[in-house]
Amino acid sequence: MLKYLLKRFIWMIPLLIGISLISFFIMHLAPGDITTSEASFNPKASEESRQKLRELYNLDKPIIVQYGLWLKRIATLDFGTSFASHQRPVFWQTKDKDGNITLGMIQEALPITLLINVLSLLLIIGVALPLGVISALNQNQLPDRGITLFVFIGFAIPGFWLALMLMYWTGVQHSWMPISGLQSLGHENLSWFGQTLDTLKHLALPVFISGITGLAGISLFVRNGMLEVLHQDYITTARSKGLNEQRVVYGHALRNALLPLITIFGLSIPGLIGGSVIAESIFAIPGMGKLFYDAVLMRDFPVIMGILTIGAILTLLGNLLADIAYAWADPRVRRGVVQ
Amino acid sequence: MTFQDSLCKLLSAFLLCFVIAGCSDSTSSSTVNQKDFNKIYPPANGGTMIDAMTGEPSGLIAMIAGESAASAIASNIFNSLLKYDRNLDLTGELAESWEISKDKKTITFHLKPGLKWADNQSLTSEDVLFTWQKVTDENTRTPYGSDFKLVVKAETPDPSTFKVTYDAPYAPALDTWAGLHILPKHLLKDQDINTTAFSRKPVGSHYYQLVSWKNGQYLKLTRNPNATQGQARIDSLLSRIIPDKAAQFLELSADNIDSMGLNPIQYARIFPARPELNKNIALYKELGNNYTYLGFNLKRKPFDDIRVRQAINYAIDKQEIIDGVLLGLGEPVASPYKPGTRWSNPALKSYPYDPAKAKALLKDAGFIDSNGDGILEKDGKPFAFEILTNQNKEREMTGVLIQRRLREIGIDANIRVLEWASFLGRFIKPKEFDVVVLGWSLSLDPDQYSIWHSSQQAPGQFNFISYSNPRVDKLLEAGRLELDPDKRMKIYHEFSKILLEDSPIVYLSAGYGLSAIHKRVQGISNPAPPAGIGYNTYEWYIPKVYARHEINEQ
Repeated sequence: MLKYLLKRFIWMIPLLIGISLISFFIMHLAPGDITTSEASFNPKASEESRQKLRELYNLDKPIIVQYGLWLKRIATLDFGTSFASHQRPVFWQTKDKDGNITLGMIQEALPITLLINVLSLLLIIGVALPLGVISALNQNQLPDRGITLFVFIGFAIPGFWLALMLMYWTGVQHSWMPISGLQSLGHENLSWFGQTLDTLKHLALPVFISGITGLAGISLFVRNGMLEVLHQDYITTARSKGLNEQRVVYGHALRNALLPLITIFGLSIPGLIGGSVIAESIFAIPGMGKLFYDAVLMRDFPVIMGILTIGAILTLLGNLLADIAYAWADPRVRRGVVQ
Repeated sequence: MTFQDSLCKLLSAFLLCFVIAGCSDSTSSSTVNQKDFNKIYPPANGGTMIDAMTGEPSGLIAMIAGESAASAIASNIFNSLLKYDRNLDLTGELAESWEISKDKKTITFHLKPGLKWADNQSLTSEDVLFTWQKVTDENTRTPYGSDFKLVVKAETPDPSTFKVTYDAPYAPALDTWAGLHILPKHLLKDQDINTTAFSRKPVGSHYYQLVSWKNGQYLKLTRNPNATQGQARIDSLLSRIIPDKAAQFLELSADNIDSMGLNPIQYARIFPARPELNKNIALYKELGNNYTYLGFNLKRKPFDDIRVRQAINYAIDKQEIIDGVLLGLGEPVASPYKPGTRWSNPALKSYPYDPAKAKALLKDAGFIDSNGDGILEKDGKPFAFEILTNQNKEREMTGVLIQRRLREIGIDANIRVLEWASFLGRFIKPKEFDVVVLGWSLSLDPDQYSIWHSSQQAPGQFNFISYSNPRVDKLLEAGRLELDPDKRMKIYHEFSKILLEDSPIVYLSAGYGLSAIHKRVQGISNPAPPAGIGYNTYEWYIPKVYARHEINEQ
């Protein structure tokens, strides 16, 4: 097992280099750089000074040289500083000689996005599991049809429209919920409990929106998995043994139906750090989606590369975790890995 | 099964809720407070004004940050030597007075007495000199240095005098000094200005100082007790970062923010249809700061022919664009200056919509529909080209209206919409375009050398349409040397006249700046003076009875 893990880890290094190389070149395929932003199209900004900026950021060098410089920096785990955001560190905070701490851009955006995505994943699991089981047990009957209709409506409904409608309904018509933002204005004056409640209230709508659109996939997956398992011989055996229905459904069928879900969750780990640009813009949440989108528009190369690299690392780790979890849950797979 | 049944009921109830929430066009908004905000109170100090902006500043040193969000906040914190007053005339800000030497090459600024930074240090000419050194420093990552590099000598004969000498008279100089925020030397002298933490913890001299900045959420400013221009009435300004305009609008309707910039649809369609919003919120309209134009690539045939350019100018209905795209909230322009200001030539009128004249001009230029397909041809080639623009809804819609009008006189135009950086990098810089729809600012200083002078055509420079007219070149050069406002005005009136005749661009429209401000904020000039409503924000006030925290207590 240990040997297997070690092998997987060592394989990750060339993979990462490959991914970063391809990302770097694709990024540079898009025309323009930091000096072609909309703000720089100002007659008061001269072309000479823009050329000077290009030289300062090494943007005048061949791409392969720029990649080499980036790789050299990244080898020391230095993700660099942003071109566009006053040289803020891309990944983690830095401290200058006067003791001023500048927080990293990913450091600030990642926890917010992670929190929203984990909460919405929990919401999806919490709702999709029972929905899927109910659907399977009532196959082609009214509850099944109703649930399928509901999850598909959730899937098909445009998230931004639903978001605006809910914001209007819960925020403007009735003052039940905050409309946008991450915290209320007097947040720092609240007690610990009040602060948590305040943050949760702000997160409720974004989490709900991303949950409702993601519900369909998982609940149908659970439904079909259950249906398949319920028709297996060992379920018939369990029933003929005289086990009660609860035991058959939850003890035997569900456990086996959940196995493929591990793969899905493994694959959704990289998705956990990628925010949604639209939801983050509408709800004014400073998360990863908006950070990446703005960086692409500004051609802020260090930020783009930083997010892509961290995304790639997490994807590879996610795959590895999924494989390990699979081996843990399924003895057949375990035997294959150890051999 | 009862559990499942109830779940089903719950779900259908849930669904129903959505449908109701989605379909109800309920005008029965229940804004929490039903207070009457229409009473005018005498000026008072205090209160917090909350506004919303779509972007976050990257830093608050404007010369480095560059984007509009940064200058919007920084201009509440930092002073310049000069400023524009309500009628867009230059007046002193940090400077009490200034004089220009006989040979017109030296400007001497006299600072007001007793100026102080927010941290109680005194603000002297040393700070001005330091700022000039920084903006012209090779290592400073600013694109705005070139104007200041024309200064050959900067001196500080005493702490309240700052003297700059140019190689040759430079008329736009005063305007450049009105745009440079003076930075404190005592805090920045040992810092790398490109990376300094000062840009997120600035110390300035203007009405407000920064108290907190939550990344991606808000910036809060509060009154600076040492403000050089007197005290502002409103205690603190809070700028929330809300990227989405629709979300901003909901926040405004729910009375969580006091002001936001509107788009024409919100101004002309939504507000009139929602009387309950008008009860609490006042709308303001002011002259915008830029205009939209259609620019020709003069290096390409047939746009090198003045008859073709004029024909297209006659073929486009500008009023239709103003009515259709801006919903009537704009004005036609006939020169690159704000209508109604000194530099704009009142005798000039934009080309009227006249398709017959357009056709005649095109015929003159040799374009005839020889094969009867409705498209004009010359030398066997149909008159077809591509209109390029960037992802900007208003410009796209403008393009569509132009396309139709051109089709009517037999020109086949396609529209291509591009993301900004690609647009600039792949098409504008290498001049790989036929026609563009873009915008320029209606500058306050009339000097537009970098846009129209024939020497400014290299890749990356701003005369990318390759306009070249020796008479215009002469006028632009003369305008830079002439410091007498009246003589200068004549030069630029003449320049705009030639520009209009030559028609290297078609002036399309200048949209108004539109904003909505809650009625609790009083003392705002309406109708807006030429400088816009924002010229006297320090005189705006929030009467005690309307202040936000008191409302929340009720």
